[in-house]
Amino acid sequence: MNPDAKKILLAGLIFAVVYGLLNSLSNIFLLPSAPIISFRPQIALPMAVGILVHPLAGFITGFAGNVVGDAISGFGAFKFWNWHIANGLMGLIPGLAVYRHIRRIDTVRAFGILQGSIVFACAAGVGTAVVLDWLFLHFMTFPASLPSWILPAFLTDAVNGFILVPAILLIAGRIVLTLETRTILMITGLLIASILATAGSITWAVLDDLVSHGAMVQNFYIAAIVSVGLLVIGFVAAVVFVRKMTAPLAALGRAAEAVEKGRYDLPELAAVSARADELGRLARIFEQMAGKVGERENSLQRQVAELQITIDREKQARDVSDIVDTDYFRALKEKARKFRGA
Amino acid sequence: MPEIIAIHSFRGGTGKSNTAANLACLLARQGRRVGVVDTDIQSPGIHVLFNLDPKDAAHTLNDFLWGKCDIGRAVYDVSRILGPEERGKLFLIPSSIRTGDIARVLHYGYDINLLKEGYQQAIEQFALDYLFIDTHPGLNEETLMSIAIADTLLILLRPDQQDYQGTAVTVEVSRALEVPRMFLIVNKAPASLCGDALAAKVAATYNCDVAGVLPHADEMMELGSSGIFCLTHPDSSLGRAIDGILRRIET
Ligand SMILES: Nc1ncnc2c1ncn2[C@@H]1O[C@H](COP(=O)(O)OP(=O)(O)OP(=O)(O)O)[C@@H](O)[C@H]1O
Ligand SMILES: [Mg+2]
Repeated sequence: MNPDAKKILLAGLIFAVVYGLLNSLSNIFLLPSAPIISFRPQIALPMAVGILVHPLAGFITGFAGNVVGDAISGFGAFKFWNWHIANGLMGLIPGLAVYRHIRRIDTVRAFGILQGSIVFACAAGVGTAVVLDWLFLHFMTFPASLPSWILPAFLTDAVNGFILVPAILLIAGRIVLTLETRTILMITGLLIASILATAGSITWAVLDDLVSHGAMVQNFYIAAIVSVGLLVIGFVAAVVFVRKMTAPLAALGRAAEAVEKGRYDLPELAAVSARADELGRLARIFEQMAGKVGERENSLQRQVAELQITIDREKQARDVSDIVDTDYFRALKEKARKFRGA
Repeated sequence: MPEIIAIHSFRGGTGKSNTAANLACLLARQGRRVGVVDTDIQSPGIHVLFNLDPKDAAHTLNDFLWGKCDIGRAVYDVSRILGPEERGKLFLIPSSIRTGDIARVLHYGYDINLLKEGYQQAIEQFALDYLFIDTHPGLNEETLMSIAIADTLLILLRPDQQDYQGTAVTVEVSRALEVPRMFLIVNKAPASLCGDALAAKVAATYNCDVAGVLPHADEMMELGSSGIFCLTHPDSSLGRAIDGILRRIET
């Protein structure tokens, strides 16, 4: 077995044990949190392993970890095997998106791909589990399982992964703090805080005028959908917003590079300088400046190129010999030698 | 060792007198004892820069060359133009501006040995570190003498087709006179030309060191010879360029 594969397998299995233990703990102690979204931070583990170590290591962590967790919890190691595959996919997919392709998460685009891959991984994982159940296992009933099993599983994992994977990648140095990532992290943080707070308050409001158990579950369900919907919409809006804000800086950077290399017409600034804001002004000034520098450079080059020092060497030789080949000059030279010798 | 530095150019109006005066002032400012001789007997002018009224000059280089006085009497202390913080000394040996005196020297000429002796005496008597010789443009007998006496020759030219050919002749003649050190100085260069490219081109054309390229400065024109540029505009680009030339020729 080649050493890389060995490393991937080993890392996968070690993290699988950790993941399994954490899973069995949260199977015993259900932690309260926002409605229906239970607090299951460990889901970030296979995802982070997939991104940082290898997508396959992420798959092993998710898959084997779920086996271990189910076994310890007494569910039977392979009874819910469809969920092992679901967890494996949740570790695999973000790794596939990020592990090789985005070595440095330093732009809003990279961050968006990361977060998108996490949400997609959860949807794909849960979707696969549901399809496998429907085909082979028949534990679930539709549509009754939707609010009680399927949606909670998806929402919990998506929200937890969404919050915690960036935190781990930040600590691991995979997310590099730049103007773009700082801004998107800040907005994402605010978004999550406000959505969790809203979801929490909806929960309490629902508890206040509790009519029946069914109504409560129904309302929790609505609150959760609304929260996650807002989270996704808010995030997409934030990505667009931050890109609009920072893209001009990138364009200015490219323009500055162009000037440094001696190119003074800057079509890449056209979109930025059309803006009415501060960055637009900066871009316009930059364009003018580049234009002036270019003009000066051109005229300098023209002048130096045009500068010709032409000397008629024959005439020079004649003129020199008219002076040098005289008795006066020879006498002068003699005297000069004497002065200098003295 | 006191050093005799001659400033010459093939054509007139290249900035010889101003360059000589500025370099002399900078050296005096540094505490050196510096003399300046105006050998431009036909058209003297450097006294204007040093603010010396010809009426105050009872004796001139002309008187010395005719044996009417010894050189010491034609030396004037003009250090006051250096300003209050003067440390060194600045002396001027002017030429006469009286037409009769001019015609007489031009007619009879003078002997190079006498001139050299005069310089030697002035250097000793006033304990000079440097003696600058401002010359008449072109290659006549008098300027050849100045070149022959100089330890260091600075040849000025403008970046102008009119100056190039004559400068080439001057450089070769000076070489034939075995001047120990020779530098070219490009003066009145447009700002856009004041780069290393021009200096390199000139150096290659004349096969001669270029001590510096001096930019054309409107402030210099505004000054109109009523003062020494380096003292009034030390931080201008021309002021710094003159300073650079000094550092180049000092070593
Ligand atoms: N770098 C400069 N920029 C602008 N003007 C200059 C510069 N150098 C000299 N000048 C101007 O050029 C004119 C001639 O200067 P200067 O008298 O020093 O030249 P010169 O070579 O001694 O002339 P001449 O051959 O008549 O003795 C003066 O008006 C002076 O102010
Ligand atoms: Mg002059």
